[in-house]
Amino acid sequence: MLRARRRTWRTKGTGARRRTLVAVVAALVVLVPIAWMWTDSLVPSTYSVEEMGTPDVGGGPVGMDHAGHAGMPMGPSVDQLREPPGPADVDLTLVARAGRVTLPSGRVVDGFTLNGTTPGPEIRAVQGQMVAVRLVNENVAEGVTLHWHGYDVPAGDDGVAGVTQDAVGVGGSFVYRFRADQAGTFWYHSHQVADPQVKGGLFGALVVTPRAGLGDTADLTALTHLYAGRRTVNGLEGDVPAVGAPGQRVRVRVVNTDNGPVQVWVGGAPYRLVAIDGDDVDGPTPSTDSLSVTAGGRADLEIDLPADGAGVRVELGGASAVTYGRPLPPTPRPAAELDPLHYGTPAALPFDPAAADRTFDYVIGRRLGFLDGTPGLWWTVNGHLWPDVPMYVVREGDVVRMHIDNASGELHPMHLHGHHAVVLARDGVPSTGSPWWTDSIDVQDGHTVDIAFVADNPGLWMDHCHNLAHPGEGLVAHLMYEGVTTPYRVGGDPHNTPE
Amino acid sequence: MRTTYRVLAWILAVEVVVQAAAIAWALFGLTTWIESGGVLDAAAIQAEPQFDGVVGFMVHGMNGTIIVPAVALLLLIVSFFAKLTRGVAFAAALFLMVVAQVLLGMFAHAIPSLGMLHGALALAILVTAVMSARLTSAPRAVEQPTTTAAV
Repeated sequence: MLRARRRTWRTKGTGARRRTLVAVVAALVVLVPIAWMWTDSLVPSTYSVEEMGTPDVGGGPVGMDHAGHAGMPMGPSVDQLREPPGPADVDLTLVARAGRVTLPSGRVVDGFTLNGTTPGPEIRAVQGQMVAVRLVNENVAEGVTLHWHGYDVPAGDDGVAGVTQDAVGVGGSFVYRFRADQAGTFWYHSHQVADPQVKGGLFGALVVTPRAGLGDTADLTALTHLYAGRRTVNGLEGDVPAVGAPGQRVRVRVVNTDNGPVQVWVGGAPYRLVAIDGDDVDGPTPSTDSLSVTAGGRADLEIDLPADGAGVRVELGGASAVTYGRPLPPTPRPAAELDPLHYGTPAALPFDPAAADRTFDYVIGRRLGFLDGTPGLWWTVNGHLWPDVPMYVVREGDVVRMHIDNASGELHPMHLHGHHAVVLARDGVPSTGSPWWTDSIDVQDGHTVDIAFVADNPGLWMDHCHNLAHPGEGLVAHLMYEGVTTPYRVGGDPHNTPE
Repeated sequence: MRTTYRVLAWILAVEVVVQAAAIAWALFGLTTWIESGGVLDAAAIQAEPQFDGVVGFMVHGMNGTIIVPAVALLLLIVSFFAKLTRGVAFAAALFLMVVAQVLLGMFAHAIPSLGMLHGALALAILVTAVMSARLTSAPRAVEQPTTTAAV
């Protein structure tokens, strides 16, 4: 009896222990991979972008001649890649301030100003002039920078915190210098904690007019921005009347400073799309279609105002409009869309994309995982989560092709710093219109875009999504010229946070 | 462990209710905002428009991608120790359903009709979570006395 009871206890004990062991093993099987993924995703509090990611030479040669970083020859540092000092033709100071901001519309929001206004002052230069802008940080605690969006400035003036400079702290300053070689419509914005700072108004327009001038054309910049969810044009809500005489030609430079595309159409007269992202379109024809302007992108529209003074409305997103002439009620968005891939007349390219020295893939996906220890749904580049993203390596003079494939479930406005690329094809359909030069291009979900450019601006350049919430979610890579180094680090004392 | 299992299962059930409530609030808020003159386009979606109910979108997103999966994972781990008949099976089923639910939430942005499955699966998760919580009220299988059917 006693023996039997003891046996039962023993059996029970072993059974219970075995069950506990099985439970522990099962828990470990579930937890260990998660813990491993978590620790593997952690990024040091400070790091150099040079060391980030996996080098991708795109089928080109790899430098082996010097004992440089990652087997590359040692080249210049980004802060040596700058204009030599000297006088400037356009010389101004921009003072950045954070706080309660009264918009030109009268609405008060929490945000940022440059010289007391948002949008900041429009910087105008004539092609060929030297531009110097001194940025002063009055009280923006997290620091500020200025990035010249779409302008192919020297690498050291690109304004990316932690990559080309340290964020400018309170009381500090930084002088940007570049030659305004290209005429067109561009903009500047902070590239330190970029998403909230740009949303909050730390940006302005940069317009470079051609040497020959614009003749009798009435020139207007229309910065469209959502402040606290309200659509504005140059900080004004609703209809914004503009100056233009009957019969006069007007140029409206639409700058999309938001994180998503803005639909633009013109009521009352046809328009011609004369420039995209600061580059002239060849042979623009009159159109009445709707035009989608990429986040960060620009579109210059020319309109011949009716000679009888009838109204014209340049509708921006359906919520606000630039208006000319007699009052005209809001016009509905046309169903047809202008596709720059087939707009204008073809022209020879200055290089042969078929003879590319490097060919890169930029495949955007999305999956569950950890990003620096935070669980969530994150973007992937070529199948990997940040920071395990590609480092596209080029040499000066290379012809580079890039195949962007978006299978991530969302639209991405892709922006390459320091270069203008030509769009070769979308979904494999080749461009048949004017050469479409771009620095900010929408890649719709489930679609591909092929671009090509000449590596003609040595440096270390961001190549990221301009939905500025997305780089912080892992959608950022870099283009690195072989051997170019940076003394700056993300994180650290200046709290450099380029995203 | 049985209590922990029960509590986690109930939390999961309540979370489904929270998710449904949050998204309904958000959608009513959004339509009301549009009807009163708000304009929603791709740029405005990214700029976080301010209206009564916008918090519902955030709650639904954050809760659904982080808290709900974390609770389902904890339930699965606890189930290994809870010694409940079918406890592991229920917790594993819940975990898989939650993973599928998150994926449906992602891919419904590309294929909106998947949203129907997302809505239906939510109810399946709710029912399974309630059933899991009630597993703990049944006596343990090993201790179950043999009963004779009373006629």
